[in-house]
Amino acid sequence: MDTALFLLVDGLTNGLVYALLALSLVLTFTVTRVVNIAQGEYVMLGALTLADLLQGRFPGSVYLLVGGLALCVVLDARRWRSDWKGALLFAAGMLLAAVGAVALAKGALALQLPVVAMMLVALLLVAPIGVLIYRFTVHPIPDASTIVFVIISVGVSMSVQGLGLLIWGASPYPVDPVASGGTLLGPVFVPYQSFVILVVALASMGGLYLFSEYTLVGKALQASAMNRLGAQFCGIPVAKAGGLAFLLAAAFSAISGMLLAPLITANYEMGFMVGLKGFVGGAMGGLIDYPFALLGVMMVGGLETTSAYLASAYRDVLVFGLLIPTLLWRNARQRAEAR
Amino acid sequence: MTKLLEVSDLTVGYGNAVALESISFDLARGEFITFIGPNGAGKTTLLNCLMGVLSPRSGTVVFEGRALNGEAPEARVAKGIVLVPERRELFPSLSVEDHLRLGAFLKRRRSREATATVLDRIYTLLPKLRERRRQLAGTLSGGEQQMVAVGRALMSEPQLLMLDEPSTGLAPRITEEIFDTIDRLRSEGMTGILVEQNANLALSVASRGYVIEVGNVVAAGAARELRQDPRLMAAYLGAGDRYRDIAI
Repeated sequence: MDTALFLLVDGLTNGLVYALLALSLVLTFTVTRVVNIAQGEYVMLGALTLADLLQGRFPGSVYLLVGGLALCVVLDARRWRSDWKGALLFAAGMLLAAVGAVALAKGALALQLPVVAMMLVALLLVAPIGVLIYRFTVHPIPDASTIVFVIISVGVSMSVQGLGLLIWGASPYPVDPVASGGTLLGPVFVPYQSFVILVVALASMGGLYLFSEYTLVGKALQASAMNRLGAQFCGIPVAKAGGLAFLLAAAFSAISGMLLAPLITANYEMGFMVGLKGFVGGAMGGLIDYPFALLGVMMVGGLETTSAYLASAYRDVLVFGLLIPTLLWRNARQRAEAR
Repeated sequence: MTKLLEVSDLTVGYGNAVALESISFDLARGEFITFIGPNGAGKTTLLNCLMGVLSPRSGTVVFEGRALNGEAPEARVAKGIVLVPERRELFPSLSVEDHLRLGAFLKRRRSREATATVLDRIYTLLPKLRERRRQLAGTLSGGEQQMVAVGRALMSEPQLLMLDEPSTGLAPRITEEIFDTIDRLRSEGMTGILVEQNANLALSVASRGYVIEVGNVVAAGAARELRQDPRLMAAYLGAGDRYRDIAI
């Protein structure tokens, strides 16, 4: 009985971490039709950036950010001929953003901010990378087919992982939890970190909900997801909506990584596996349905901890095996609806 | 009279097929014209091209004295061109009022009062929308959806309103209601292009008409003249008569 309760708490904690990832996947897919295999890489970037900041190293993700901003300026080169003022303004803006990012990282290190503030800094450094990747990979070909985007995102995943290896090396980095210790909840010991995960995950999801339902920009994002052409006819810049979706998705995934890191130690290849598990959960909602995606990741979290306890060697096999009945079920449901 | 829109030698094609062949026309501010013709004549292609959904193979489009050159639809909305598409292109799980507010997305920095004034004007023009303001668009009837599409387009206070087959799939009584609204907009000075299969109805609203068939303008003139041309009536305006039979 105690074991079951322990597994339940652990499963829910994992599920909440994956939930942020599934949220990112659904958001990205609905607005841009990109099945983002690379979503997990933001988990890795979030976790390793936080590890750097907490251990007093200059965060490696700043190099990625600055490099990306520089590439933006290069890609904008053609504009210099037709509209040099606009191009200059853009380049100046990118430079300012790069200086800002370096200053933010240096400042945070100098001030030795508390963990929560460091998480915020890491978020500000990692989330814009999502926009940059959108700019490089999706923005130039908005009408490409889903399969093209899948292939591109696999490439992005490999590239970012490679860059991660280059920057951080292969060694794992331990990350301190936001709060160490825990408390006895009845017969079960619950680490404080689990409460932190619960609060942060719920706050993030609640924040996204409030943003989507109560702001015009949020509604515009929903509109772009429901009907791209209709959104364009309203004057909604759908390319920017896609960028916003990538930004928010990167932010949620980075948060997920920062919450996850203390539980599993961060390394350059942690993202891919986590990303796929978020995907298995998201698949339950067909990557379009938030509530079903949440249900899906909770099942993934639960199955993962249970199988880790009962048959740890088969943990990942069982979790990914969940995809098969999920897809069969979705298929049957879709057919029933079509009829 | 200043021209709001000048289209010259516009040619649009899909792959090897030509959908529109050197179409030229112009439109003065405050004028309401119509393009009529059978299915597949290229009417929708014309509006999609003016909206920026399709790019022309050749030809120029000048709006308010400036050439339009491959701008995306959202950029054209910013210039004051809006389209009420044939398929309406609504957002099924957003409410009627959400649609209207999103219609004015580019003017979102306008004051709360200014938005409320425009919203009120739309609700006065289309009172049914006020009743349904909280309802999700996916649950509305076809006629109500068409009204949402019209209201959404008007929210950005456009210079040029384009309507693509607003009568599609609607019962005669509802079609009449929609056309009354269009007629009212016209009498208030709205500039517009109306594309219709139902020629009689279209010519009752517009001042000038163009008859197009397989991508070419085959007849053009004042709406009254077109309605009195027996040859055209027989060839293209039959739809209107059929419609009248149904209405009775």
